[in-house]
Amino acid sequence: MNANRRKQVNPVHLSSLIRCMLVALFVGVSALFFLFIKNQQFALAEEIRQMERKIANVRSQNETLLAHVTELSSRRMLQQRIAEGFISMKLIQDNAIARLTPPAQATADGVLRTAFNEGVRQ
Amino acid sequence: MRWTARTRTGFACAAVAMVFTAYSARLVELQVAKHKEYSQMAAEKHTMRQVIHARRGLIFDRNGELLASNLPVRTVVADGSHVKDPAALARVAAPFLGMDEKELCAKLTSGRKYIVIRHELAEETALALGKAIQDANLRGLYFEPDAVRTYPNGQMLGHVLGFLNNEGAGIQGVEMSMEKSLRGQDGYRYIEHDRTGREIMLYRGQEEPAVHGLNVRLTIDMGLQAILEDELDSAFKDLRPEMAVGIIMDPNTGEILAMTNRPCFDPNHPGDAKSEQMKNRAIIDMVEPGSTFKIVVASGALNEGKVNEKTSIYCENGAFAYGGRILRDHHGYGSMGVHDILVKSSNIGSAKMALMMGDTKFYEYVKRFGFGDRTGIELPGEIPGLVHPPHRWDKLTITRMPMGQSVAVTPLQMTMGMSVIANGGRLLAPQIIRSVEDSDGSVVVSKPPKVVREVVPQKTARFVSEALTGVVGEGGTAQLAKIAGFTVAGKTGTAQKVSPSGGYAQGKYVVSFVGYLPQEDPRFVCLVMLDDAKVASNLNYGGLVAAPIFSRIGERAARYLDLVPSLRAEPTGPLALREQKQERTN
Repeated sequence: MNANRRKQVNPVHLSSLIRCMLVALFVGVSALFFLFIKNQQFALAEEIRQMERKIANVRSQNETLLAHVTELSSRRMLQQRIAEGFISMKLIQDNAIARLTPPAQATADGVLRTAFNEGVRQ
Repeated sequence: MRWTARTRTGFACAAVAMVFTAYSARLVELQVAKHKEYSQMAAEKHTMRQVIHARRGLIFDRNGELLASNLPVRTVVADGSHVKDPAALARVAAPFLGMDEKELCAKLTSGRKYIVIRHELAEETALALGKAIQDANLRGLYFEPDAVRTYPNGQMLGHVLGFLNNEGAGIQGVEMSMEKSLRGQDGYRYIEHDRTGREIMLYRGQEEPAVHGLNVRLTIDMGLQAILEDELDSAFKDLRPEMAVGIIMDPNTGEILAMTNRPCFDPNHPGDAKSEQMKNRAIIDMVEPGSTFKIVVASGALNEGKVNEKTSIYCENGAFAYGGRILRDHHGYGSMGVHDILVKSSNIGSAKMALMMGDTKFYEYVKRFGFGDRTGIELPGEIPGLVHPPHRWDKLTITRMPMGQSVAVTPLQMTMGMSVIANGGRLLAPQIIRSVEDSDGSVVVSKPPKVVREVVPQKTARFVSEALTGVVGEGGTAQLAKIAGFTVAGKTGTAQKVSPSGGYAQGKYVVSFVGYLPQEDPRFVCLVMLDDAKVASNLNYGGLVAAPIFSRIGERAARYLDLVPSLRAEPTGPLALREQKQERTN
């Protein structure tokens, strides 16, 4: 190789090359990391959305069931069930009543009890 | 100019520069000049304001029994721009929606972005439909949350609770009067959605949570309400009056414990009811009260010192000529004290007491008892009744008003008037709302009892109360109002029905009984009123028609409230037989 040709050759500086590659790698990795984080965010947001939806559904179902329970345990329904004979009323025996107010005496002396037995009067 | 290589290069560069300049200019126009317009267009396309519905407050009775609740339902809507295969979607959805497939398909092909397909779809059905659509890999149908107001007790307490209109606003009863507390406030959030219509959660914007409605607790006791409804229902079926009203209230607090009317309606289906069924006649109907009004003149005359416990008034043996007309009593009476005038319900005795007082003083007492003014109960549509001032009275008014004619009152006013006697002379404001609470049960607004005024002193009230006990006793007009074991005080009322064409309707009566027990320490006042009961006219009296109903209600209510009897009961049935046997053996 003559002297002129040797002068035209641009030598590769290894240190510069490595620096550039590192910068490129850093930029590339940062971009990929950014993408990964962004994807994670979307995935988490979607999970939250699904969870919110599930909670809303469960809450609605709960309210629906509560409304049904209220309906079934309402006075109107209980009276209807009693009329149908599905359930029946049973008189509470006197010895099963615990009173906080002073007890009235038995019916023998003509004084009515406060929760007296309707059947006795018939 | 020579077309050299340099010139050609110059032209090419200029052309490229011009193209880029044009692009740049357009870019500047889009990004800077029209930024606002385009960003708004983009926002409209992808961003929407999602309403977060507030839940309407619940209504409870005084013991926490649920009277009005919300049933979640869904409104099914379609976005025509998302529907790719309307026929397939209609095939899947029609059975769930209970619609004709072709009709649904026609709706879906309209292409509009917001098509309401069906209201009030049950929650379970909506979930099942959503799953079916997902399984079929279709889209375009969406479910918006909504709620239906339900009243678990049906027609019981219907007039007090009221109902909602199509927009979810209360239009009668407590639903209307407490609308502001019950309604709550809808919230909102700004969301962005992708081209398939799904929310992009990451870009969720400004959010304002919904403020749910407050719960309302009534003064109503459903145990007593059931008793009142049951007895009034039986009376309505047996006696077939045009209307019947029943009220139970606590005379010491003014709290309404039960209130009902017949005919009635089911607030779950207000559309099925006639307007006549929807009237809460306890507050929007006025009637001539009849003899129950005599408590006003007796209290007034006693309080003004015009009469005292020993004053004897001559009752003209049953016929009193005044103002060119004869005023008659049911039976002829001679001289009687105030006590007996009330017990025998003498029209002449009452008229004479009013004459002693004078029209201005008597009118003052009528107003002090609360007649002619709205009571202020928290229910919509209350009327004040009709009490003319003395300058509009004719010569007969002073003798007619004391016996409950020439005056019109609401059943609630009559109950409040009797409460004045029951509680020792105080007029209280009636209350139907006990408290307003948040969802945790913390009281936000509580309503303590409110004394409007002292009408008469306790001594006067006690004297009238003793006389009213006589009304239910031997020789009184309401012996059928007796309740075994308790001292009952009360007053009957039998008023001729006012004809819409003027004057009185022949053979038609409004009969009532308003009383309380125990007389010594009243726990409740109860009014029973029936308009034109279908009984023989010689039996159509408050003491014969309304008093027995009161007795049955009072007996069951006393048992329900666990009141301790203060009297030796007069036994009936087996007990009476046993006593009779004992007497015979003795």
